[in-house]
Amino acid sequence: MSEQVANTTTRGKKSRSLIFRTLFLQILCGIAAFSILVARLYNLQITQNDYYESKALQFQLSQTSLNASRGTIFDVNGNILAISASTVNVFISPYEIARDGYDIMQIANGLSDILNVSVLSIVEMSQHTDSHYQVVMFGVEDLEAQMVREFVRGNKLGGVYMEPSTRRYYPNDNLAAQVLGFTGRDNVGLDGLEERYDSQLTGVSGRTINLRNALGRNLMMSQYNDYYTARNGDDITLTIDSSIQYYIEKHLAQAIIDYDVINGASCIAMDPRTGAILGMANYPSFNPNDFLSIGERELERLSLITDDEEYQAALYQAQVRQWRNRALSDAYEPGSVFKIMTLAMAIEENVVSLNHLYDCQGYMEVLGREEDEPLHCWNIYGHGEQTIVQAMKNSCNIVCVEMALRVRAQTFYKYIDAFGLFDRTGLDDTAESRSLWWDESVFFNRNNQAQLASASFGQTFKVTPIQMITAAAATINGGYLMEPYIVKQITDGSGNIIEAAEPRVLRQVISEETSAIVRSILEEVVSSGTGRNASVRGYRVGGKTGTSEFVEQLSQQAEQVAQNEIPTVVKDYIVSFIGFAPAEDPQIIILLLLDTPSHETDVIISGGAMAAPVVGNMLADILPLSLGIKAKYSEEDLGDINVDTPSIINCSIADAQVILDTMGFEYIVIGDGDVVTNQLPAPNAYVVSGTRVMLFADADIPVEPVLVPSLHGMSYGAAKDTLEAMGLFVRTSGAPKSDNRAEVSVQSLPAGELHAYGSIVELTLINKDAIARN
Amino acid sequence: MSFTHNARGAYGRRNNDAAVGNGREETGGEPQIGGLPFWKPRDLRGEYIPNKKSKTGVDVPFMLLTLLILLIGVVMVLSASFPRGYYISGEPLKVFMRQVGFASSGIFLMYMASRFKLRTISRMAYLLLAASFFFLVIVLFIGIEVNGARRWLGIGGAGASTTFQPSEIAKLAVILSFAKWICACGPAKMKTFKYGILPFGIVIGAMVWLLMREPHISASVVIFVLAVIMMYAGGVKLRWFAMGAGILAVLLACVLFLNLRGSGINSDNLSIREQLSQIQWSSGRLGYADGRIDAWLNPEADPLGKGFQIRQSLYAVGSGGLLGQGLGQSRQKYLYLPEEHNDYIFAIVCEELGFIGAFLILFLFSMLIIRGFWLAMNAKDKYSCLVTIGITSLLAIQVFTNVAVVTNLLPATGVSLPFFSYGGTALWVQLVQIGIVLSVSREIPYPQEAVNEMPASQQNNRQKRAV
Repeated sequence: MSEQVANTTTRGKKSRSLIFRTLFLQILCGIAAFSILVARLYNLQITQNDYYESKALQFQLSQTSLNASRGTIFDVNGNILAISASTVNVFISPYEIARDGYDIMQIANGLSDILNVSVLSIVEMSQHTDSHYQVVMFGVEDLEAQMVREFVRGNKLGGVYMEPSTRRYYPNDNLAAQVLGFTGRDNVGLDGLEERYDSQLTGVSGRTINLRNALGRNLMMSQYNDYYTARNGDDITLTIDSSIQYYIEKHLAQAIIDYDVINGASCIAMDPRTGAILGMANYPSFNPNDFLSIGERELERLSLITDDEEYQAALYQAQVRQWRNRALSDAYEPGSVFKIMTLAMAIEENVVSLNHLYDCQGYMEVLGREEDEPLHCWNIYGHGEQTIVQAMKNSCNIVCVEMALRVRAQTFYKYIDAFGLFDRTGLDDTAESRSLWWDESVFFNRNNQAQLASASFGQTFKVTPIQMITAAAATINGGYLMEPYIVKQITDGSGNIIEAAEPRVLRQVISEETSAIVRSILEEVVSSGTGRNASVRGYRVGGKTGTSEFVEQLSQQAEQVAQNEIPTVVKDYIVSFIGFAPAEDPQIIILLLLDTPSHETDVIISGGAMAAPVVGNMLADILPLSLGIKAKYSEEDLGDINVDTPSIINCSIADAQVILDTMGFEYIVIGDGDVVTNQLPAPNAYVVSGTRVMLFADADIPVEPVLVPSLHGMSYGAAKDTLEAMGLFVRTSGAPKSDNRAEVSVQSLPAGELHAYGSIVELTLINKDAIARN
Repeated sequence: MSFTHNARGAYGRRNNDAAVGNGREETGGEPQIGGLPFWKPRDLRGEYIPNKKSKTGVDVPFMLLTLLILLIGVVMVLSASFPRGYYISGEPLKVFMRQVGFASSGIFLMYMASRFKLRTISRMAYLLLAASFFFLVIVLFIGIEVNGARRWLGIGGAGASTTFQPSEIAKLAVILSFAKWICACGPAKMKTFKYGILPFGIVIGAMVWLLMREPHISASVVIFVLAVIMMYAGGVKLRWFAMGAGILAVLLACVLFLNLRGSGINSDNLSIREQLSQIQWSSGRLGYADGRIDAWLNPEADPLGKGFQIRQSLYAVGSGGLLGQGLGQSRQKYLYLPEEHNDYIFAIVCEELGFIGAFLILFLFSMLIIRGFWLAMNAKDKYSCLVTIGITSLLAIQVFTNVAVVTNLLPATGVSLPFFSYGGTALWVQLVQIGIVLSVSREIPYPQEAVNEMPASQQNNRQKRAV
């Protein structure tokens, strides 16, 4: 027992206090501590679950986006206007290059050689050593990409990467540039239809979502892996016809050169039956593939600027100017072209009679104008007594004012409204600007009819070209105001039509009968009036000229006066022409306007002399070649057209003479052989009928070039004789060469240049009577 | 022979303690099985009546809870270690297989420990304490340095593959030796400063000083808290603890005040947490801990730097939700979360098993600890009681600290989660400790009332043995 007692002291007897303290520890360690932990877990896992899970997923999930291919833009015949192709973006990771110690100079030089990027810019990028992504070049094509790959692999370099991308191509370069617009290097539409239909064209990019580990490798945990397919962008088919677009751009560009047009130009071609835009061109233009580069003529002007800051500002302005679709965005004073509208409403309102004679004395008193400042006709001597038809052929202002006064201001505005000239046409709301008209309170003033008088011949208000052509189309298509449209249909990637445009009649403004009368009057304007330079042999063309003074220029002169400077005497003009064909059933209507032709050329600045022949040339190409309308030549026309020369090489002289005789060619034999060894013009050359063909029989064509003479102002006959004597040949456009009032306005080969013997000079003939500044 | 006699003699004395249990039972009105409170020890069949001729046998609930937690822990090691093994070492199962080996051998060690009489073990208590000090000293010289701290000793030389932390031995040594000292002193002396405070203060002071030399803050703190619990259980007067708490509070206030004064910040309007975050923790010897404190106070501040680990841990815990991502479906274990099979394995548990799973595992731990304290209360004598309290408390401290760190309640420390975290020697030590508790449980006497309810034959048998 004593051992037992001793044991009790050493081993210890558990006291009541020990039990209670143990119990306390039991509760503290076993329950209290765990309660804290459970509460904390509840807070983290239940209350803040969403927060932490989303944060964690930011680390854990990797997203790879799959590019949707941008839709293609087609013309009405399915020709590609804009298309996207796969490329890669080459980028470097300055971080990795710095970390792994690659030779940046070697990388920069190598990439610079392949991609044609400056070494300096790459070195500069490599300075951002905390960056993983510095793009060296966007839109690199396969060949270069392969070269970059080989360069990197071959030199055991790193830090250079590629990511798939797409690049936009415009296979026709400048064609319809402002209409199409362009895309930035990130494939976002920045202008034109590319911008307006960006969301449709872009499509929906797909993406893959993968769970990855911290090293970036994807994990095969299917519940987190997701795949969304890319939906390619929709394709857009336009109403634009590439060939029509090509012809209007071609002749527009030529007109710019011929008349040295300073402020640019616009041209719209429309189908008057539907309102479909067939072509729309502007100058200055650009190449959407390289939309920052500006044209040669603009560059020339910029090269005069020496100050760098000024140069940058001018360059920017030039870029903005060339991107602008001025056919939609620039309101202008239509001038005499607008007389079509006045005519149509006067006839529809039955306030004039086609048989009645109206007097023009060259001036006219109008209520509201100063007494000593009567309203003048462009012909200050007056046109005398004329019928309405004659007045239109003469583009007489006075008769036009007379018509408008009879229509009255309120009715005049009612028609303006009905023709849609107050509103945007709806073709492109963002690009279109509004028209500018007198307020009704001013316009309807009975004691001041000056505004109505000026408006009757297209002055003192502004409309956009698209408004003008839409309204004009309504006067010749039977009176129906069509809503213009440029997108024919939108199709998805599989070719299903998503959206198809139908011609939409907004309202009938004038009757079919009135429209027919307007058509016939306008046809006479071209056949024998101020518009005759727009005539096309074999086709019935109608149209109206227009020449408007530049209001801005006038205000600028006023400023100069205010600053005691001598105002410049010369005035600037917008010359325009609206033409349609065939006159009996118009299938195309073209509005051309040239803003500020320079006074440097010898051509008289007027719509009839400048714009009309250009539209005539456009129609001459478009009607047979784009629209497939066959020419119907009258007897008179046949002697007046350009024809293809036959091939008569290797024929005997006698046979050749027979062939040429029957085709109406003249000829001259050079050399003394019996067989034609060569001919000028060459076979299938397009020259005027009646050209004197040179038959070489055992003789050589002279090799010396010929100095082209100036032919301006010569009659057709004199010009032809002059050129043929020198060994040059003629092709004509514009007024009929049978017209004895016709003279040479513009020649395709400029005077004073040397050209090969036998070259063909295209002469634009204009009728001296059709140069009205109206 | 005398030992056996003494041990049996102890049964007789236990009756008093059983009466204490009965008293609680009557007032508590807790659910009972077979007329006895559920916490009463029973054998594998849940019966009080032994059908073998052994003593009570080990405490089955405590052992089963341990084995269940260990089983879950080993499975979680497999889940957590697989990705790193797969992506880094190329041996995805290596960690798991080693842990299975450690666990199997650990269970054997546990069994061995449970077969030792605690008295035998207690004889080595002071020797073990001396050995701990020896190891704590030599680790400063020949320890394996990891991240600027020498905490590990290689078994068989510094380059050995198997390592252990002397602090693990020190913890056990503190438990055994303190308990022995407390029993030797008796209740009266423990109330004095000379016997109840001073010896403990010297031992712990020296030990903490050595640990700080490594440096190893977490072990210092664990051992300090462990010692305080041992002293508390040993009967040290409560006013000493009040005084200690007061001194600590004053010290903390001074540190705060001086630091804020030094940095010229007006602290009037700042919360304690904000004040803590203003302190320049980097000063002094413990500079290595400064980043951890900053990261603890503001885990989002330096996401890729110091706050990375705790932030990834919070992402793992937080994205678990109620039901978790599913076993094996953790995403954070894919190399995002460092130490995912080690100190931060509980974060993976939370992510995969969700709040429900984490709660259940904490519940198992809670049950284990409650059971441990219960065993302590029912232990044969004071020494067994104190040792069991020490071991159970140590388990609780480690579980609490680890989970608190994983959930950012405490700054990052290197405390592993018992039975879960990968590591051989730590697991062995933990299982040996469990073994010691089981050994204590073997010696728990049958309650007298249980003996009374036995069938006469067995009662006779039992009483025969009991006398």
